[in-house]
This record gives sequence, structure tokens and C-alpha cells, in this order.
Amino acid sequence: MARKTEQVEVRMVAEYLKAQYSKFPHITNQPLGLVDESLLAKYGYSKGMGIQRPRRPIVDAIVILPNYLVMVEAKVWSVVNGLGKLPLYKSLVPLTPELKEYKPREVLMELVVGWTNPNLEVMARDVGVTIRVYCPDWLKEKVDTMQNYWTPQYRIAREDKLRNRELLGLE
Amino acid sequence: MVLQNNVILQNGIPTRLHFTDHRIEKRTITEPATGRQVLRSVLALDVDQLDGRPVVAILSTMAEKLAGQFAPYLTDKSYVNFNFTITQLGDGFTRTWSVKVTPR
Repeated sequence: MARKTEQVEVRMVAEYLKAQYSKFPHITNQPLGLVDESLLAKYGYSKGMGIQRPRRPIVDAIVILPNYLVMVEAKVWSVVNGLGKLPLYKSLVPLTPELKEYKPREVLMELVVGWTNPNLEVMARDVGVTIRVYCPDWLKEKVDTMQNYWTPQYRIAREDKLRNRELLGLE
Repeated sequence: MVLQNNVILQNGIPTRLHFTDHRIEKRTITEPATGRQVLRSVLALDVDQLDGRPVVAILSTMAEKLAGQFAPYLTDKSYVNFNFTITQLGDGFTRTWSVKVTPR
């Protein structure tokens, strides 16, 4: 059975940016790090950038404040992954040609999550990341689904739903 | 004023747009991988400025990855207060879009 993906974090980032930073320019899905000019010369700009894409990590958003750049990563599920990425991504900001015009600015890091816990806060403080909880109703539903995913009740209900879909010939 | 039906995004080239209106349309398209005709929802945005020049054009997308970035601006049509600079990155299933949102 085909599974449909849902761009939960795309919507989460876009809403968060509009709610918090609508007065400032912001860039979503910003690739970070050096660009290999020799590949651009050999393959042309489009293909050259495409070849380099796997080597250039993408941060969910960069907010351009007058004196700071705020790197924003949003996570609904793998929150610790998001926390781990941000300090590593920060090291690439000074090397990113697309962000050259915004130097020199200090880089701040924000992890936007649907839920938090004391341990996450401790880890975030230790690596200089600010945790922002953004959880509108539509996201709360997703977070609850995730937190209940492995409970027996949810598993039974899910199996029942999938069985009914098969019976009715729905995708 | 430039008359142009559709805005075509090019890989790696930033395109600055200003939107005036939008709608969700149903369109029948042919899936490139299977050749099947399928009905899809398309977000169509009316464009009145392209890279600072006045135009009459439409940006349309079926990609949730791109449409999702405009989602918060659709309900109240607040996109009229911003410029959107879109850079298309990559091809096929790995294609993504970097969008710079700038208040006007």
C-alpha cells in the first residue's frame, strides 16, 4: 500500500516564522557551506549546484535580524537530531556564499519543537541552543499521535483502520 | 508591463515575486513516471511583480514542500505584504525550494 508523506515540519517552520519574525527577512531551506567552483565551471551552475547538494546540509530557516542571524531548525519527531545539527551547521555559516552579504553578524540558534522536557532543555543550554515550543492544535494532534504510536490501543486501532482501507479499496 | 502566462522557476536562480491573489485548482495531469492521468490539487498564485518588473503571470505548484511554505500567508492573503524570492534546488524527488520572505 502506498503511503503518503506529509510535510509537517514545512508548515511548522513557515507558521513559526510568520508568527515570530514576520517583520524581518527570513530564508527557508538554506543550503550551508562551501561551494566547489570547479564543479560549477565543469558542469554549469544548475548541474554543478545539484551535484554538490548532498555535501551541503540544509537548515530549515535563517532569520536576518539587524545584528544577528538566527538559525532555526524545527523538529516534531527526532528532536535530539535537530539539537545536534544546529551547532554543526553554525560552523558552516561563515563559509556560505549565499549568506556573505549578511556578515558580520553573530549567529543564534533556535530549535522549534512541538513539546519539550527538562533533559532537552539541559542539553540545549549546554550547546547554546534556545528551545522554542510551537504547538498549535493541528500540531498537537500529530504530537499526540506520535506519543501514542506504540501503545496497544493505538496499534489495534491502526491495524483496524488499515484493514478497513484494504477492504474498501482505498489508497 | 510584461505579459507572461506562467512563472518558470530555474534551478539555482533566485526569482523575486509579489503575489496578489491565489486559489486551489483541480487539474488533470499525466504522471511522468507512470503515464497515468491523475487529478491533482494545484496552488495557483497571481503574480504582479517578477524581479521588480510588473507582470501578469501565475505561479502554480503541486509540490507540498513549496506550497506549505506559503500556507500561513494564504488564509488572510497576507502575502500581499511580502516579497517572496524563490530558489529551486535539485531535480526530481529530491527537488526542494529555498524561499526568502521579505516584508515590503
